[in-house]
Amino acid sequence: MNVSAKELSDSSTQREILVLGNPTFEKITEAVSRIVEGKPTRWWYALFSISVLLTIMLFANLVYLFWEGTGIWGLNNPVGWGWAIVNFVFWVGIGHAGTLISAILFLLRQRWRTSINRFAEAMTIFAVICALLFPAIHVGRVWVLYWVFPLPNQMGMWPNFRSPLLWDTFAVGTYFTCSLLFWYVGLVPDLATLRDRAKARIKKILYGLFALGWRGGNRQWRHYELSYLVLAGVSTPLVLSVHSIVSTDFATSLLPGWHTTIFPPYFVAGAIFSGFAMVMTLSLIARKVFKLEDIITTKTLERMNKIILVTGLMVGYAYSMEFFIAWYSGNDYERFAFINRAFGPYAWAYWIMVSCNVIVPQLFWFKRLRTSIPVMFIASIFVNIGMWFERFVIVVTLSRDYLPSSWDYYSPTIYDIMLLVGSFGLFFTLFLLFLRYLPMVAMSEVKGVLPQADPHYNHGEGG
Amino acid sequence: MPPLTDMNKDRKKDKVQWRSLDELADTPEFKEFLHREFPQGASEMNNDWSRRNFLTLMGASLALAGLAGCRRPEQKIVPYVKPPEEVIPGIPQYYATTMPFGNSAYGLVVESYEGRPSKIEGNPKHPSTLGASNAWIQASILGLYDPDRSKRVMHNGQESSWDKFVTIWREHSARYDSNGGDGLAVLSEPFSSPTLARLRKEFLRKYPNAQWVTYEPAGDENIFDGVSIVIPRGSYLPLNDFGRADVIVSFDCDFLLTESDSIAASRGFVQGRRLTTEYDSMNRLYVFEPGFSPTGAVADHRVAVEASIVPHLVVALANALKAQGLVELELPRGYELPEALRGWVEKLAEELTSARGRSLVVAGRSQPGSVHALVLAINDALGNLGRTLTLVAAPDGTYSRPAELRYRLIKDIRDGRVKTLVLIGGNPCYSVPANLEFRKVLEKVETSIHLSPYYDETSRRSIWHIPQAHYLESWGDASAPDGTRSVIQPLIAPLSNGIASVEFANLIATGANSAGYDIVRDTWENMLGSAGFENKWRRVLHDGVSTQPPPQTNDPVTDYNMVIKALDDISGEPPGRNNGLELVFALSPSLYDGRFANNGWLQELPHPMTKLAWDNAALVSPRTAEEHGVKNGDMVKLSYRERELEMPIWILPGMADNTVLLELGYGQENLGRVANGVGFNTYLLRHSDAPYYDRGLTMVKTGKTYKLASTQNHGSMEGRPHVREATLDEYRRHPNFAPEAVHHPPLVSMWKDHKYDEGYQWGMAIDLTACTGCNACTVACQSENNIPIVGKEQVLNGREMHWIRVDRYFTGDKDRPSVVYQPVACQHCEMAPCEQVCPVAATMHDNEGLNTMVYNRCIGTRYCANNCPYKVRRFNFFNFTKDTPEVTKMVNNPDVTVRSRGVMEKCTYCVQRINRVKIEAKKEDREVTDGEITTACQQACPTGAIVFGNVNDPESKVSKVKARNRNYDLLGELNVRPRTSYLAKIRNPNAKVSESD
Repeated sequence: MNVSAKELSDSSTQREILVLGNPTFEKITEAVSRIVEGKPTRWWYALFSISVLLTIMLFANLVYLFWEGTGIWGLNNPVGWGWAIVNFVFWVGIGHAGTLISAILFLLRQRWRTSINRFAEAMTIFAVICALLFPAIHVGRVWVLYWVFPLPNQMGMWPNFRSPLLWDTFAVGTYFTCSLLFWYVGLVPDLATLRDRAKARIKKILYGLFALGWRGGNRQWRHYELSYLVLAGVSTPLVLSVHSIVSTDFATSLLPGWHTTIFPPYFVAGAIFSGFAMVMTLSLIARKVFKLEDIITTKTLERMNKIILVTGLMVGYAYSMEFFIAWYSGNDYERFAFINRAFGPYAWAYWIMVSCNVIVPQLFWFKRLRTSIPVMFIASIFVNIGMWFERFVIVVTLSRDYLPSSWDYYSPTIYDIMLLVGSFGLFFTLFLLFLRYLPMVAMSEVKGVLPQADPHYNHGEGG
Repeated sequence: MPPLTDMNKDRKKDKVQWRSLDELADTPEFKEFLHREFPQGASEMNNDWSRRNFLTLMGASLALAGLAGCRRPEQKIVPYVKPPEEVIPGIPQYYATTMPFGNSAYGLVVESYEGRPSKIEGNPKHPSTLGASNAWIQASILGLYDPDRSKRVMHNGQESSWDKFVTIWREHSARYDSNGGDGLAVLSEPFSSPTLARLRKEFLRKYPNAQWVTYEPAGDENIFDGVSIVIPRGSYLPLNDFGRADVIVSFDCDFLLTESDSIAASRGFVQGRRLTTEYDSMNRLYVFEPGFSPTGAVADHRVAVEASIVPHLVVALANALKAQGLVELELPRGYELPEALRGWVEKLAEELTSARGRSLVVAGRSQPGSVHALVLAINDALGNLGRTLTLVAAPDGTYSRPAELRYRLIKDIRDGRVKTLVLIGGNPCYSVPANLEFRKVLEKVETSIHLSPYYDETSRRSIWHIPQAHYLESWGDASAPDGTRSVIQPLIAPLSNGIASVEFANLIATGANSAGYDIVRDTWENMLGSAGFENKWRRVLHDGVSTQPPPQTNDPVTDYNMVIKALDDISGEPPGRNNGLELVFALSPSLYDGRFANNGWLQELPHPMTKLAWDNAALVSPRTAEEHGVKNGDMVKLSYRERELEMPIWILPGMADNTVLLELGYGQENLGRVANGVGFNTYLLRHSDAPYYDRGLTMVKTGKTYKLASTQNHGSMEGRPHVREATLDEYRRHPNFAPEAVHHPPLVSMWKDHKYDEGYQWGMAIDLTACTGCNACTVACQSENNIPIVGKEQVLNGREMHWIRVDRYFTGDKDRPSVVYQPVACQHCEMAPCEQVCPVAATMHDNEGLNTMVYNRCIGTRYCANNCPYKVRRFNFFNFTKDTPEVTKMVNNPDVTVRSRGVMEKCTYCVQRINRVKIEAKKEDREVTDGEITTACQQACPTGAIVFGNVNDPESKVSKVKARNRNYDLLGELNVRPRTSYLAKIRNPNAKVSESD
């Protein structure tokens, strides 16, 4: 009677078991904090060295770029944007999952998010940093980049508010600021935990500084919960707006293949799709390396796979709808642009995109596959490849527009490739530093979803 | 006459200035100074320093601070103490001069800023240009500032001087005074210059035993020969008046581009097909050619035939016209024309007969003299002589005589009979057919003297090399093909110590080292008469053309019996595959015969047919390529008469099958940094037996590939209505076919439009019927707007910078395609998509409808270029002008910014020209009159295809042109409202010729 009553009570509070093994609060703290407090593993050092080397390569590449000009890339006359913009859109897309998990799932009370939200947010921040790099460096004269900001100046010149690039500046800038704040606010209780556990003086000071004097008092929790809620509310529209606005870079132009109204929702779906895939890749690694299988459960992963499947279907729908509308519009240029995508010189890229983004996620219809760690790991990587190619396919639409006389083929140079690889270096450098110095799982939140955190936990017994 | 300033000398002095400052800094006191933060005197006033010392050191330390602190190149500028009369800084002056070009002469007006020529235009008073120009003329200004031009007299590879040469020549030539010039020879380029003709006469009078041979690689010798077959005495050349011909038949004659006097021909040809309405009449052009020339591209009927069939075709035509009084001729060795061609001959005969006196048959310079003689006979029989064709006596001309070079001069040299060879211009070591082995021949001459603008292949093998002055630096004169004489007057003192041709020839002929001015003036004083000469002379210098009427045209006595005799020369070998492929040589539309090889503008100029830049390729038809299993860029080994050449293949649809066309002028070794090693030297396959075409070529694929840079990778219009084209009949049936070619929903705007209904509203119209694809506009724009050269690598990357490009599309049947041209520059859309997307508002509209580009504001996002539906925006991917040599910078137009890297640029409708005229008009308190402003492309266009003006004025020419029913907007359905519109292309095919013929 006792045992069964306890099981019932868990289900009677509608609380799902989100953390396996029913650990104590202390165990959770221990499991997460030891990663930060212990010595880094050899794996960490190896990965970090590679990432730092790639980052150095990235910056060396940038120095050369600034010295010589954007001519070192493979750009040509019809194709004025190349990998730099592809990478930008790709990283912004990656950056979507974090805020989505944090804000929207928070508001929708999807409590399974707690185990992944911290590093999903961190991933967002770092992905947006990588993304912001590209529009900055892709301009011909980086030294006057600040002209895109509405700064007062002696010329009395404002930027052109009609330009989607300017909207980008605001949208991505706002998104970055909000995401950073959101992430930081969520970190405060955990930083306090680390401060309290810290032994070295320097750590005490630094964690203490950023913990903002958090003591875990009732009033502090109240303020914290409220501000977190408000920030979640503020961030939610941003999740939808950022990629919508990024998509207007393409959608407001008059190029066949770019000028489509489907782009904003399609970009948002794609961004969530790629963002979840990236979170998946990273969490699978982190889970394995730091032995967090109990906290990041297969159940959580399966839920994420479902979202990947859903957004993958949305993306697939968008692909087919683009073709339908191109045909339905009766516009010859539009029709050509899409036929050319699928069967023109970049057909290889198109079919990589379709295979990775539409076909691969179909695996997740099957429960066995969507709960299989190797399958989801490989699938998530394919999805990211596919989403990178999606942006590539969109950008190289430029290669064949209205006048056939101007058609040309774009192919990247070694510097384009170094830039993409280098941006992964930067991303992983930041991410590995994060894993090393900050709690990668939101301890306080995970504790909050344990059964014993339920105010009714003990009352349940005996009615 | 412009003021002549020797800029070279000034620059040298500046360098000395710098050096002396360094030397100054080397003294012990200054070395100490360099190590101290403050000038010594500043803190040590109480020492024994005199005031004078202190001031000296203060001054010097400031100078040193400047030396260290300022990275800007500093040059000493010296203001005019007394300004030269009429020179106002920033206000250009214009001088008339002439560009000699083989036997042609192009009368020019050259713009000059403070003694620095910067832009060339045609002289409206000169018959060969009529105010227009071509790519070569436009680009010749860059040739003036070519840093690779030879700067010094060389003697046996050692630096020498002109004065030394003069002394030595006088001593050397003394030996020929006694023997009448036995052992002395001159090899010059052909010319049509009264002064050179006079000097040549004087030379031959002084040295009766000497010889003066003229040669150029592809001259008018065959035409000249043809005329002299019919008119044995006197020297005449046919002068075609295309404007008066209703039916024109061209046998392998690219009269619109590479033949002599092509500007006047283009103007005349288009004059005969300028349509205002559908009721106007139009001439008709038939072209039979082995390659595919721009003339073929604009033809109403074009038939690809092997070059060796052309003579048979002409004979067949003559036979078909025997009703017109022509003698029946026997086709050589019973050769039968193919059925299809016989059909053509019948139709031609019918058409020509019905257009008696209003027709014109022309043959190309590569066809033998007998064909030209027969063509003349045909024209005479058709009553064209004196109407569409006149024979002009050319007393000043000396034509290329390859036969004399081969059988007389080279033979004499080989036999040791020539001790001294004077070469005036040309580069025979490069351009004489390889079988004559001119390099070895030249070694046999004891004393060789080469006057040449470059220290080239021939100069390096000559004993003496004399740098030749550019025509913009020299005095001289020239006669147009119609006999109009004009003076070449220099715009600037020789930049690289060049000697003018007339000065050099004068020294050779008379031993006198006179100034070019005096030599030319002497000639003209003889011609114009000394009475009132000064006034007449000034008039000629001012106008650029002689007031004297051209020499009388005599109606020559013709002897057609000679034609029949001459036709025996035509090889009766029936064309067939067993004889291998046919090899055809043609002049390059960019480099001509190679004389422009070191000109970057021309090297980068896309070929009118292949759109290749920076290379020549072996051109073949698709079928021939298929038969040989080759594709674009495959290297092939071409073997012909024991000589071999490896070259890349380029497939040109529309070429005659079994023909390989090689263009001359590429692959030079020692010309300069631009020319060396670019392309392939096709002279190496040339044989003097058959310098233009021959059978017996074999082509083998080598398996290697080569990267060819083409500026247009896609030749099909993909069924899009970019170039709207109709036949005259269709046009008459559907006069509004062009604007109605695209159906689209009503064009509505989301916001309130700017009206653009006040003041000047600039617009342009381009008549596609008139465009011959000659590229003059592209180079004129490059010259006017300081457009950089990017090099082959960047063209391969698709980054060429031309603001106006000429799109070339193949249309029709794949085996027998037609070509249409469409010049595309910025369309200055009223609703410009580029403006909307620029984040920093660097491209904006002005209230006169110009889409302006603010370089200073541009940060280089390239978004505007992406969003431009016409893809006319050009991005500075690198700092393309970084390595421009100092002297080449002088070619820049001071009214136009030189763009640095990272900024976008594009056509501005020559805003600097608009504003110059507007300022003048405002000063005079009047409106700008129609036609007062011309854009560079418009001004250069030989056919007047481009019209520019105020579209807000219904009376302006551009408004009237835009009101024609052929007018359409390119991509008008996008509602971008371009200010440039096009007039649809109309062809006038013969209705009796069915499509299948």
